Amino acid sequence: MAWGGGWSGGGAMFGSSQVAGLPFGGIPSELMDEATKLLSHEPDHPPSDLTFTQLPSERERQRLTLPRLIGAYPKWVVSGSALVIVISLILQAGPLLTGFAIDHGMTPGHRSLRVVAACALGYLVLALASALLQRVQVDVTGVLASRVMHDLRIRVFTHFQRLSLDFFTDEKAGVLMSRMTSDIENLQQLIQDGVSQFAAQGLTMIVITVILFSLNATLAAWTVLLVVPLLFVISVWFHRASEKGYLLSRDRIANVLADLSESLYGIRVVTANNRQRRNIRNHRHVVGAYRDANLYTGRVNAIYGPATIMIGILGQGLLLGIGGDMVLKGRLSIGSLVIFFLYLNRFFGPIQLLVQQYNALQQGRSSIIRLRELLEVPPTVDEVDGASELATIEGRITFEDVSFGYDAEHLVLRHINLEIAPGESVAFVGPTGAGKSTMAKLANRFYDPTSGRVLLDGVDIRSVTLRSLRSQLGVVPQEAFLFAGSIRTNLSFGRPHITGAEIEEAIDVVGLRDLVERLPQGIDTVVHERGQTLSAGERQLLALARAFLARPRVLILDEATSSLDLQSETTIERALDRLLEGRSAILIAHRLTTAQRADRIVVIDRGGVVEMGTPGELRAAGGAYAAMFDAWLASGGRDSTRPDDADDH
Amino acid sequence: MVTPLSTRVERDRDNGEANPLGGVTSKYPGPRVRISRDRNLAWWRRILPVMASHRVTFLLAIGLSFLSLVFQTLVPNMLNGAIDHALVHHSTALHADVVRILIVGLLAGVSGIVSRQYVFLTAYNVEADLRSLVYEHLTWLSFGFYDRVQSGQLISRANSDIRSVQMYSTFAPLILVQCCIGVLAFGFMLKINPLLACIAMTIMPILYFVSIRMRRLMFPISWITQARLADVATIVDENVNGVRVVKSFAQEQAEVNRLADAAERVAWAYVKDAQIRGKWSPWVQNLPQLGLALVLFFGGWMVIDGHLGIGAILAFNAYLLMLQAPFMMLGQLVMMGQRARASAERIFEILDETPEIVERPGAYDLANVRGSIDFDHVRFSYSDDADILHDFDAHIEAGESVAIVGRTGSGKSTVARLVTRFYDVDDGAIRIDGHDVRDVTLPSLRDHVGVVLDEPFLFSISIHDNIAYGRPDATFEEVEAAARAANAHEFIERLPEGYETVVGERGYTLSGGQRQRLAIARTLLINPPILILDDATSAVDVHVEAGIYEALHRLLAQRTTIVIAHRISTIALASRVLLLDEGRVVASGTHEQLLASTPLYSEVLAQSTKPNED
Repeated sequence: MAWGGGWSGGGAMFGSSQVAGLPFGGIPSELMDEATKLLSHEPDHPPSDLTFTQLPSERERQRLTLPRLIGAYPKWVVSGSALVIVISLILQAGPLLTGFAIDHGMTPGHRSLRVVAACALGYLVLALASALLQRVQVDVTGVLASRVMHDLRIRVFTHFQRLSLDFFTDEKAGVLMSRMTSDIENLQQLIQDGVSQFAAQGLTMIVITVILFSLNATLAAWTVLLVVPLLFVISVWFHRASEKGYLLSRDRIANVLADLSESLYGIRVVTANNRQRRNIRNHRHVVGAYRDANLYTGRVNAIYGPATIMIGILGQGLLLGIGGDMVLKGRLSIGSLVIFFLYLNRFFGPIQLLVQQYNALQQGRSSIIRLRELLEVPPTVDEVDGASELATIEGRITFEDVSFGYDAEHLVLRHINLEIAPGESVAFVGPTGAGKSTMAKLANRFYDPTSGRVLLDGVDIRSVTLRSLRSQLGVVPQEAFLFAGSIRTNLSFGRPHITGAEIEEAIDVVGLRDLVERLPQGIDTVVHERGQTLSAGERQLLALARAFLARPRVLILDEATSSLDLQSETTIERALDRLLEGRSAILIAHRLTTAQRADRIVVIDRGGVVEMGTPGELRAAGGAYAAMFDAWLASGGRDSTRPDDADDH
Repeated sequence: MVTPLSTRVERDRDNGEANPLGGVTSKYPGPRVRISRDRNLAWWRRILPVMASHRVTFLLAIGLSFLSLVFQTLVPNMLNGAIDHALVHHSTALHADVVRILIVGLLAGVSGIVSRQYVFLTAYNVEADLRSLVYEHLTWLSFGFYDRVQSGQLISRANSDIRSVQMYSTFAPLILVQCCIGVLAFGFMLKINPLLACIAMTIMPILYFVSIRMRRLMFPISWITQARLADVATIVDENVNGVRVVKSFAQEQAEVNRLADAAERVAWAYVKDAQIRGKWSPWVQNLPQLGLALVLFFGGWMVIDGHLGIGAILAFNAYLLMLQAPFMMLGQLVMMGQRARASAERIFEILDETPEIVERPGAYDLANVRGSIDFDHVRFSYSDDADILHDFDAHIEAGESVAIVGRTGSGKSTVARLVTRFYDVDDGAIRIDGHDVRDVTLPSLRDHVGVVLDEPFLFSISIHDNIAYGRPDATFEEVEAAARAANAHEFIERLPEGYETVVGERGYTLSGGQRQRLAIARTLLINPPILILDDATSAVDVHVEAGIYEALHRLLAQRTTIVIAHRISTIALASRVLLLDEGRVVASGTHEQLLASTPLYSEVLAQSTKPNED
């Protein structure tokens, strides 16, 4: 479990700093009132009613591209683009009107209050118009971006659900997280602001250049040459440098927080080892390195801001020199010169924004590529086209000449032949790594056999839908995973529309009554942070109850009793009789107490069945099982957690 | 006693510069002062000493910023003059104006660049100081504090709250300087034409209020969005980690719908965010245009009437654009101030916390410890709860090894925590060789009493550094010897990088038993005369455990040992057993004696042990 965090790392708590069930986990108290007010206007969202199919639809098979993503909302795209164009045009009219008013209303010989008033009025109207249009445009792109991202989130997540277990290995967990979070958020920003800004700013530059050239080509050439290249170069430099600085400070702040969090979570060890002073010195280095990274970024910023201002002023000086000379020689009107001055400053914003948005565009592009790659990963365990529904089974499980290896070279299981009768419970025992858990994983198609077949009631499980197969098999894994939510929601996970009475019954059967009565809100108590408030044993019991409530036809307990303390184990043994009633079951256990309960024991070693028989037969036979049982007794029986054994997949 | 920072730094013993986190080094000297301890002062006055310790760079930053802005405000006025005099009335030479503007531009740029260097220097030094102050204060707080608070909350305070205080305390003065420039620009405008200046300025207060209003609404929605994105992340995280459960129960559809619901809530927040922004930001962006239209009309009128030059239209345009930013920032300043204040108060809550466990004046170093421990009628309770230990009285001889046995909640672990003064007794006393633990210095006490806690916390540094945590100067041979004694050497050797393997999230994940063995090795390396093992081998295999205790017997025959355990195999290793019930010792003797004499003992053992036969 890569995100488990556990005791040795502190990182995991950052993401889940907000407490499940509270709407404003992370919202500072001073913003609460406003936030509550905002939320009171939120309509009730109707619950989603999507259908999940293992095989993707035609639309879901399409290659992921940005145009296709936003193309799903053509009306919004068209109206958004039109608004961007109109707004960019309107915004550039102001200086032209000012220049016109000067030349035709204010210069000696052309004085006219009417012209000035008309220009001012025009200016006013255009300002109002652009304000109104901008408002609509922000709404439009906002809705567009959020709809597109909503679709994409569901699409990527649905693909997650289709992928097979082998994809979810430890290293990939973090990658999957960032696809669903930062990559999609990158795109969100890009669609909401990036694309429209990029278009608007580019358009603005073009419009201004055209206006200037139509006024006076020589002066326009000078202006563009004086300002644009310099500004462009320094903007590019700034963005490269500040990006580097940003990455550096992001790494360094991560160090600061990691150091802080380790020191806090390990404060008892720190204190017991008298490490305080040393840690303080170390933290100063870590904080200092973060400060140094910030100072680097600060230096870059300190140069960029004033430098662009300086370029602006120098540009104005030179424009005054060149343009003023033209005015004196009568080749340019004063109004036109003023227009040049007014537009000069308007080059700055677009260039800065273009460079900025170019980065966002790049990031968005690579996010799209990463998401596309993910969506193109095929599940290794998939449904065949036209897979049938598996009818309610009696529970006959057949392994027919099954071989399996996680990679082709190393077979974990070799030519296994085994039949489990309906209602029979079979315990798999054997050393770690012998392939016991793998057998269970083949039965519910977490993996497919490399060769041979697994049959349920005589039907090859590869020919039926995954849903109809798995809903009839109940698996209780070794690591009891609970979802954030109440005990009730966790228990009803397998069958959401379960009645309260059934839950109460299950609680009694697995012996959780004491726990439930101890908890403040009973079964509605929220389980935090992957069930950290409960002991490992209690979580196991909940997982058992959850499986019990799903009413499976076949029950698979994969080391499900390994972390139980003795008291819970005793309870469970009693419960097992109820759980196994009328069901086929596969029990995988280190603790031979659990194995002893089974109708039949199968000893598995080195990928094959070594021995098979009832517990009594095997102990009498004096073979492998008898030896294991004696060793287990000699070790004190009590200890059967085997902490040093790695989980065999 | 509340000045751990200043009093303890000079008593520093070790000089090593270990850097667990990838060897980053920095010349940052650490904070020079602390915040004011006077809780009655306004929040910014409590921070003031930290700001004052950077006054030189701070004043340079403010002074030079002001200078740079003065240069900038000169330019539009110079353009105005140049146009009117050189171009309209031909009364001055154009090139002189051009040269002046170029010089002023250079000066504005250079002073701007230098001033901002100082701005950032001050800002980030203040932030580093605040971070260090909080960290250093937290380091000295007692276990009682950590029992009360959630570490996750502390981390978030230490992060975002420090950020918001630092932003305000350093950027607020600068924004105020910018606003001074507003005054200056207004002055120039008044000089050109008072009436037009007043007309042009009418939009500024509106701009201020609109931008305040916008920010006030934008802040909460962006937090809501973040919280909802975190919800989505939680669902994804759960589905990645709980993938087996989801697939086993064939609940893919339910999970897709759960995510869709959360994503719908995110979508709403984003749309709401766009709506609020759409409602306000166009006004913020277009209000200056309104001002420019006013200037054009009234200014043009005045030009026609001959009261104003054409250059003034250009100058007013420039000044209005120059004023736009400070007025918008003024709104931001108000918001930042509110947040900074709330953040500062949350930080003060930490900094005002005083350590409960402190050395008495005149505390002396504990030296030449033989290892006898006296529990003299000890009473203890965590915070205000019921007594955990009540009249707990026991004597442990130097070199003796004692097992403490009792039901869950009988106070066994508490005993371990009191000997090292993780907590102080409420009544009675604990003495080591006759010295009350409250009379000796804390480092010397903890050097002599080694505790292996029940939860084996390891740091995400190499295994070697984890074992050497309490003695970073230990030689490799010593580390290895400790690892051997704790039966950890063999599995460490088998790891990909042996002793250099890094533990933790991105490193190698160790099992509970392996972690416990490293924790034991860590304590053994300190070589304390008194060793306390608090359920320290609960996750270790019985065979391995026997090996550990055998090694302990051999190596540490002279050592006083307290073992807190459940297993008979562990208890059997002690020469004497203390049976604890309801916070006091109810029986003492060898395992066999207690089995024979005390029914409660058998009962307690039965609770945790079980006959092998089924």
